[in-house]
Amino acid sequence: MSVRTHTATFAITLLAGSLLATPLMAQDKPAIDFYGVKSVSGAFASYGKYAEMGSQLAVEEMQETLGREINYTTLDTEGNAGRAIRKVQEAINQEDARLFNGATLSSTALAIGKEVNKAGGVFMTPAGADELTGSECNASTFRWSVPTYGAIRETLVPLIEKLPDAKRWYTITPEYVFGEALLQNAKKVFEEYGLEHVGNSYHSLQEQEFSGYLTNAMSTSPDVLVLLNFGAQSSNALRQARNFGLNEQMDIVMVWSAGLDQLQELGADNVEGIYFGAQYWHEVDTPMNRHLVEKVKAAYDITPNYPLAADYIMTRTMLEAVDATGASEGPELIAALEGLTYQGPTGEETIRAADHQVIKDYYLLLGKGQAEMDDADDFADIISSGHSFVEEDKSVCQL
Amino acid sequence: MLNVYLFQVLNGLGLGMIYFLISVGLTLIFGLLNFVNFAHGAFFLLGSYLCYTLVTLTGNFWLALIAGPLVIAMLAWALERSLIQRIYHLPHTFQILVTLGIALIIQELSIMIWGPVGKSVPTPELLQGVVRFGNFAYPIYRLFLIAFSAGVAILLWLLLERTRFGALVRAGSESTEMVSLLGSNIFRLFSITFALGVGLAGLAGVLSAPLRGAHPFIGPEVLGLAFVVVVIGGMGSFSGALVAGLLVGVVQSLMTTLWPQGASLMIYAAMAVVILLRPYGLFGRA
Repeated sequence: MSVRTHTATFAITLLAGSLLATPLMAQDKPAIDFYGVKSVSGAFASYGKYAEMGSQLAVEEMQETLGREINYTTLDTEGNAGRAIRKVQEAINQEDARLFNGATLSSTALAIGKEVNKAGGVFMTPAGADELTGSECNASTFRWSVPTYGAIRETLVPLIEKLPDAKRWYTITPEYVFGEALLQNAKKVFEEYGLEHVGNSYHSLQEQEFSGYLTNAMSTSPDVLVLLNFGAQSSNALRQARNFGLNEQMDIVMVWSAGLDQLQELGADNVEGIYFGAQYWHEVDTPMNRHLVEKVKAAYDITPNYPLAADYIMTRTMLEAVDATGASEGPELIAALEGLTYQGPTGEETIRAADHQVIKDYYLLLGKGQAEMDDADDFADIISSGHSFVEEDKSVCQL
Repeated sequence: MLNVYLFQVLNGLGLGMIYFLISVGLTLIFGLLNFVNFAHGAFFLLGSYLCYTLVTLTGNFWLALIAGPLVIAMLAWALERSLIQRIYHLPHTFQILVTLGIALIIQELSIMIWGPVGKSVPTPELLQGVVRFGNFAYPIYRLFLIAFSAGVAILLWLLLERTRFGALVRAGSESTEMVSLLGSNIFRLFSITFALGVGLAGLAGVLSAPLRGAHPFIGPEVLGLAFVVVVIGGMGSFSGALVAGLLVGVVQSLMTTLWPQGASLMIYAAMAVVILLRPYGLFGRA
């Protein structure tokens, strides 16, 4: 065989090799199909917009870090549970989707969890309902946020210690499952610490006028007013409580605040001297949070808030698990997530195998006045943090 | 010590005056133009956001109180001349469809301009603080709102009942042709009335901003509340809106003590009772 023939053969082999190489690499690390279930339009768009930014940031970062393609698709819930379920079902049936994260509303998250479980996929959510990792838990559903038990304990217990003279506590509660769960947990804390629960006002989920409920609270002369509602309702309840001068007569605590975006909405005038419970705060000093704050500043020129941080870390954790196991559905991926400990924005976070609840910190913040703020987003100081969860053997979750 | 129920009645009267302000523009437009304005809540929303912007830029709430409703009234006037005027003669379903579209445009534009997260407006310095009655306190700003709304009610009554403009508008609502034949420009009257009604929605939005802030999804809730007041009072009845506003405010406030979880429900229950007993509302005409 001549040198010329050898050269030609070598060239052909190289060409064939290079042509084959790409598909072979792709077979090693196939693209990951990932679905973000976000309320980017409709009444909960204020949450979904930031959640979407968090997921997109994690996808971009993981694409680079893992060196593999990630096909990210947004399913807009439009703030409507029915539409969200239909879109998830369509993605499962028509696109063979198996990896989902997001869903703000508890009702939406519970229904999506069931659908994904039927399909043998994995779903990670920040929704609040205790049932997600309690009575309605399932193998496919994982939850990042602290449920009501921990939110109440990590907010009220440090506050009770901080305010030893506060003996009379009044609650304002939205009348539905989530509000009721917060209330029952709060009552247990009052009983445990020998405090008087001087009254509670339930209100409907449509209520935006709180003057009547605040009047009820005033009539019982409490030392602390506990707001157990959330979102726009808690913002309006707090605005109106300040308007009625209640902050001068008693301490006020909002147990389930949305964090930075809610404090930005309320403004320093409304948050000064008010206590807030929060799932996340951008000033937490942990390696992952410093990384997140830096990334978010660079990408969006804003400070990360709770929805952004929650959906960022959930997306990132799921993608890392998919990459590590090579599985994108089923028991293998679920097993990889169960018991996983990773660096999250709140510090070291662990996914509890028994109920798929992420064990992480919850924060008690104290609102600052305008003069005390170091920068435009420095609305509060963390005065306490920690984690409280129903013990595994007492959990009603049966996986 | 003041009894909690008595205080709830007082609070309800204050709340009722706010509800009157929210609904009077809607009833004015329906009563005089026989036009169903489903964009009423969206103009309220726009009023809240204009208040936020003007207070943020100038720090002057009083400027927002004057400029906000005026800007919205001018916008409404332009909208009436260019679009609304063309659908007066169409059935109410078409009017609902068009105004619902306008409401959605305003809502989405608000999200584009001000973002999806709500905004807060501080209470003007002059009106901060509370008046105390024993254990209870009532905000000075809400007292101002009651007085202001009462002033608006009196001015509107004088305008509609004691001026040539009011007489022409009332006559126009009975017979458009007759007023035209008498030499009055009925379309100009309609434009002014529409602008006035929408401007009042904007005024309510500006005044509510320190209480509830500005939020892009507040429109449908305000529209629902305004319709309840207008239906109870009688579609198109000015005095009906006042009485119904007060009734709804007192019922809601009292129920927050008697049956808190049903306070909102009772507003709609009151509407259902009124419809059953007086299908045209308390002051409505068949």
